[in-house]
Amino acid sequence: MSDTVEEAALPRVDTREATPWTTYIVAFLAPAAIVYTVFSIYPLIDTIRLSFYAIDSAGESHFAGFGNFITLLTDPHWAGPFWNAFRNNIVFFIVHMVVQNSIGLALAVLLSLPALTGRNVYRTLIFLPTMLSVVIIGFIWQLILSPLWGVAKGFLNAFYLGGLFAPWLGLDGTALVTISLISVWQFVGIPMMLIYAALLNIPEDLVDAATVDGANQWHVFLSIKLPLILPTLGVVAILTFVGNFNAFDLIYTVKGALAGPNFATDILGTFFYRSFFGYQLQPGSPTMGATVATMMLIIILVGVLAYLFGVQRRLRHHLA
Amino acid sequence: MNKQRLSRLVVHAALVLYTCLAVGPILLILMNSFKSRKAIFGSPLSPPSESTFTLVGYDSVLAKADFGLYFVNSLTVTIVSLALVLLTGAMCAWALTEYRFRFNAVIGLYMAIGIMVPIRLGSVSILKMMVGLKLVNTLTALILVYTAMGLPLAIFILAEFIQQVPRDLRDAARCDGVSEYRIFYAVILPLIRPALATVAVFTMVPIWNDLWFPLILAPGRGTQTVTLGVQQFIGQYVTDWNAVLAALSLAIAPILLLYVLFSRSLVRGLTAGAVK
Amino acid sequence: MAEVSLKGVSKSFGTVEVLKDINLDVEDGAFVVFVGPSGCGKSTLLRLIAGLEKTTTGDIFIGGRRVNDVPPAERKIAMVFQSYALYPHMSVYKNMAFGLKYAKAGREEIDQRVRQAAETLQLTPYLRRYPRDLSGGQRQRVAIGRAIVREPAVFLFDEPLSNLDAALRINTRIEIAKLHRALGATTIYVTHDQVEAMTLASKIVVINKGQIEQIGTPLDLYHRPAKLFVAGFIGSPQMNFVKAKIVGADGGLTAKLDVGGEVRLPPAPAKAGDVVTLGVRPENLSDQPGGDFRVAGAVDAVEHLGESSLVHMHLDDGTVVVVRTPGDSAVVPGSRLTASAPLSAVHAFAQSGAAFISGGVASTNTSDPA
Repeated sequence: MSDTVEEAALPRVDTREATPWTTYIVAFLAPAAIVYTVFSIYPLIDTIRLSFYAIDSAGESHFAGFGNFITLLTDPHWAGPFWNAFRNNIVFFIVHMVVQNSIGLALAVLLSLPALTGRNVYRTLIFLPTMLSVVIIGFIWQLILSPLWGVAKGFLNAFYLGGLFAPWLGLDGTALVTISLISVWQFVGIPMMLIYAALLNIPEDLVDAATVDGANQWHVFLSIKLPLILPTLGVVAILTFVGNFNAFDLIYTVKGALAGPNFATDILGTFFYRSFFGYQLQPGSPTMGATVATMMLIIILVGVLAYLFGVQRRLRHHLA
Repeated sequence: MNKQRLSRLVVHAALVLYTCLAVGPILLILMNSFKSRKAIFGSPLSPPSESTFTLVGYDSVLAKADFGLYFVNSLTVTIVSLALVLLTGAMCAWALTEYRFRFNAVIGLYMAIGIMVPIRLGSVSILKMMVGLKLVNTLTALILVYTAMGLPLAIFILAEFIQQVPRDLRDAARCDGVSEYRIFYAVILPLIRPALATVAVFTMVPIWNDLWFPLILAPGRGTQTVTLGVQQFIGQYVTDWNAVLAALSLAIAPILLLYVLFSRSLVRGLTAGAVK
Repeated sequence: MAEVSLKGVSKSFGTVEVLKDINLDVEDGAFVVFVGPSGCGKSTLLRLIAGLEKTTTGDIFIGGRRVNDVPPAERKIAMVFQSYALYPHMSVYKNMAFGLKYAKAGREEIDQRVRQAAETLQLTPYLRRYPRDLSGGQRQRVAIGRAIVREPAVFLFDEPLSNLDAALRINTRIEIAKLHRALGATTIYVTHDQVEAMTLASKIVVINKGQIEQIGTPLDLYHRPAKLFVAGFIGSPQMNFVKAKIVGADGGLTAKLDVGGEVRLPPAPAKAGDVVTLGVRPENLSDQPGGDFRVAGAVDAVEHLGESSLVHMHLDDGTVVVVRTPGDSAVVPGSRLTASAPLSAVHAFAQSGAAFISGGVASTNTSDPA
């Protein structure tokens, strides 16, 4: 537009005394770039580098090539817990994708209905758990689900479902799903807000046109709204993925670093913590910790790349 | 007409139900923190009454744990990190959008990597570095790490906002002979205030609520944050229900207060962050 | 094909009353334009007819049927939106076919209707394209095509041309007129542009602040505006208004202009002492001497348009008057000019805004809304 025309006509002329632009560029960029590089990028690269080394019993480190990775993936001592954690992480992720994101979608749709009284109040209140620390949430639910306190059991009793109650957090079979649901409960607000914002972006006109064309509310949602918010659903999916494979705080809070019972709630985050810091019988190993971290990095990168090239490419952004 | 009213009712019912589910547990904790141990177990769902009201839990917590210190630590770390993120982030975003230079796009991409890749994975090296710099168990370590953590997304968002500032303003200032630094400080910063507020919100909350880095870098008594402090305290005094509930309530209170006061911009900020 | 009838319709959003007591009839096959300034309620009125909003009071009839509680899809209407409202994720073909899906038409019937509409609007080469790949004018045609395909009884247009550039606007205006002649369907068209209203309508409804000011044919409104508002809205440049007072009412009326001078008006319902506004259109004023209506003032500027000239002047009391003269004007800015007009060009409006003299003749006010 006119901007570019002017730019083409007038070359950037520095009419003042010769402080070259580069000084400014560096001055403005440097602080952020330095902090970011030193404390974010360099550690990641160093971690990857570290994963190629091993520390022997004398405390000396030597180059080990892919040795650590092979150990991690095949040595029963490491592989067992690793694959267990990986599997649990996938369950964790699936529960989030299915439960968290569908409830978030449903809430967003309800909140975006025209002329809904109290919309802001609902939104504010439903978003409250997301604001609180995972630690707080973890403890709250631990208390509520505790058989000692009996709140959960009492609640179920009110619906004659008391028989269903069990110390879910403490049982092998149910602990992981229970913790996943607690996490879902906390973070539903995020897909809700994102999808809500996306729904608001859809011009009213389109809904009107569809109404005149004969679509009812349900049709409007399926044929008009859903296709137009697909990009946002994609963002929600990848955010869930990265967030889940990075999770640690909740499990640590509720179950401790050992992620019991019997490692039933162990996910990659807690496994990483243990391999690095050590626990009970096994001392921590920085190199193995680095290896686990590198594996997690690879998993996350694969997911992100798959999303960027597989999903994002395919999804056209229809709205401006 | 009737069908519409009915469906509206159903909608509200669903929303009310979920809202209760969302807020209920929190209210339950807050409520019970003011009740005697007998009342907590005897009638968990009823609010504290004359006879059951007690502050024994709070006394216990405040005696055994230095909540004031935790709070100050959290506040210090959060505010300083935030200030650094906003200032250096805005400077960086300004440089990237304003000056056309060869490596513009590359550097932009480089800074954006941090958005998707979690910084936690580099913790092994970060700890090593902090040990080397003798910064373990200092708030400084946390501040540096959180600044690095918050920069990528902040830069991304701020860059978008800065681009919207009309070119004419900057060009006019340049014609007036104003130095680049002054342009940034006196022209750009004030104009992107709403963006700064937005970024402040979604940078602040994860920092305040974080457990991982305080646990790994600054677990010492003097440097514990509220989040870590609560986690350790409850882990230690897990049978003292009054204290546990009080500790949780104390941890909830600041965020709740902040939220009630600033809910609109908070929510907007968090959405904006994640959408990008 | 169907007539549309509104009886006693009013609409409030909460406490804000947007439309008050609207009564009008649209004959089958007519092209009626709702025109008025922004915020006057014309779009709301259209949405009421479409069924996208519910009336607060009053009844709407389409084809003789009371449709107050009938949803839009069943009213046999089709609407063309100002922003075109094309579904961005669907091809042109799918956009046009969308509504037919819900009308439970068969695959072949849908295909046939869509292709036919595409033919009419020269959209056939674009059927597989997406709205984002089309120009404004093409999108406009797709929006119209989507409406045609439904074969409605009533077409509703909501300011369809406002997003187009000037040249395209004129072309599309003609296309719409041709389309109406070809399909003969009842059309209700909303615009704020009085030129569109004048050129397209068989009947114009002038709306202001939620009320109907006047209903009539374009020329009716031009020659015999019943209200001050209508007189000022229709016609470009705007009619000149000069304040005056009735000083004598014997036989005919004598109006004394505030800036000086008198005009003899025919007998009409007004009495001495009444404060009135006299109106004369710029194209009826001349810079030549001799006329029943004369005003003098200083010339501020002269705009040469080639086929005519616009002389902007201000009278001694500050009132701005514009004179339109054919061809090139010799008038010089800064000079004094006396503009005059024959009695047949003079309109007089009472303080209430109602016209009592139209074109030099006592007004019978038959064009008032029912």
